[in-house]
Amino acid sequence: MNPARPRFAHALLRLFAVQGSYNYERMLGLGVGVAEEPLLRGLPADGAASPYRAAVARGAHFFNAHPYLAGLAVGAAARAEHDGAPAELIERLRAALCGPLGSIGDRLIWAGWLPLLSGLTLAAISLGAGWTAVVVFLVIYNIGHVALRWWALREGWKHGVRVASALHHPLLQRGAAIAGPAMACAVGAALPLTAQYLAAPFGIWPRAILAVAAVVGFAAIRWLPGRVTGLRLGLACAAIALVVGWTWL
Amino acid sequence: MFLALLGWGTLVGVDLVSLPQMMIARPVVAGTVAGAILGDLDAGLKIGVVFELLQYDIIPVGAVRLPEYGPATVAAVATAHAAAGALGLGLGTVVGLVIGLVGGITQHLLRRVNSRVVNAASVALESGDPRALIRLHVGGLLRDVMRAALVTAVGLALAWFVPPHLTGVLTPRGATLLAVAAVASALAAGAAGTLRLVGRGPNLAWFAVGLAGGVVVVVWLQ
Repeated sequence: MNPARPRFAHALLRLFAVQGSYNYERMLGLGVGVAEEPLLRGLPADGAASPYRAAVARGAHFFNAHPYLAGLAVGAAARAEHDGAPAELIERLRAALCGPLGSIGDRLIWAGWLPLLSGLTLAAISLGAGWTAVVVFLVIYNIGHVALRWWALREGWKHGVRVASALHHPLLQRGAAIAGPAMACAVGAALPLTAQYLAAPFGIWPRAILAVAAVVGFAAIRWLPGRVTGLRLGLACAAIALVVGWTWL
Repeated sequence: MFLALLGWGTLVGVDLVSLPQMMIARPVVAGTVAGAILGDLDAGLKIGVVFELLQYDIIPVGAVRLPEYGPATVAAVATAHAAAGALGLGLGTVVGLVIGLVGGITQHLLRRVNSRVVNAASVALESGDPRALIRLHVGGLLRDVMRAALVTAVGLALAWFVPPHLTGVLTPRGATLLAVAAVASALAAGAAGTLRLVGRGPNLAWFAVGLAGGVVVVVWLQ
């Protein structure tokens, strides 16, 4: 029992706000339920115990995954509701998707696509590209971002309870395999370029101090993970610099 | 100017988690636009690059409490613009780090508040009432808008208050030292965060290739 025209555009728009009510109780659950609701409208909705209301309630249960891939679960669960799948199966499907969608999304986006483009942007700014590099970053990043959200929603709807097959799609598997090395190379190149860019106004002695402080800070973050973070290091270095600058210089 | 920065900082703060995650919350974007608003693109780009490097130290997985560098970068650029010169870079970074810390704490508090609200409305949610669901979700969104606006407003207040009080206190060499501390910690965090992402597998070789390429370009440009 599929709706003649599923409201993909409504669901996609709502998916952009999937983390709008992020909380420790249901994580993305409410956002997923809100995004799924337009796709459930073809279900019988008469009475307090109607299939539509039961599906809406299920849609808002606990869910956690990468936000860009949450559409896969939204589409799959909505399709399963229309196909009349048992409630327990739909609950199990949602629970089973949390881990893979989180893991693939983190590798593909947070550890691939995003730092890759960020590294290229930093390198471009350091080489004098200025604000145009930032505009290009936003445009290219969001072409991938919107395309991934749209693809995930459509694939989820297409496969329903057999959505696991979509997780083997070359886009996800090869995308993550390519994005990792590309990201490493881009950010590796960006680091010396940004160092040169930021240190340009400094003389020889400040550059020497900068090099020593950066190496010591790097070692501290690497060897004391959790205890020394970028934020703590920055505040500590600034406090030392303020005291030294105030009293001795 | 204040209202434009407040509006931009709020959009940036909401983009990070709630809507639409199009990465205007990335410091390099937030800083550049804040610089354009202030007519000081150079400060915006520089501060944006510093906080973008600091952002590499952060991987937004799960519900971990992390600093929020988007509105922080807007406040940092406003501070750098007000202080100008070497003092601007250092002082802007300090203000940005403090606001980043505050932003992270408010994110955590917002999630706890959302949890309580959701918990209190569990009967309505379990009844499958779509209006109750949407009302709760929009409520969470609006709370995040207010949170982001508040964090940005505190940051802009610091940007207005701090520079006049420190401009005469630090000598030019002291101001340079503060800027050096900011850049050094950003580079350290950027390098350590990148290596954490890269890991010890085959990507490490690609990182080395990129690093060598970057060094060659730097030497060649000199």
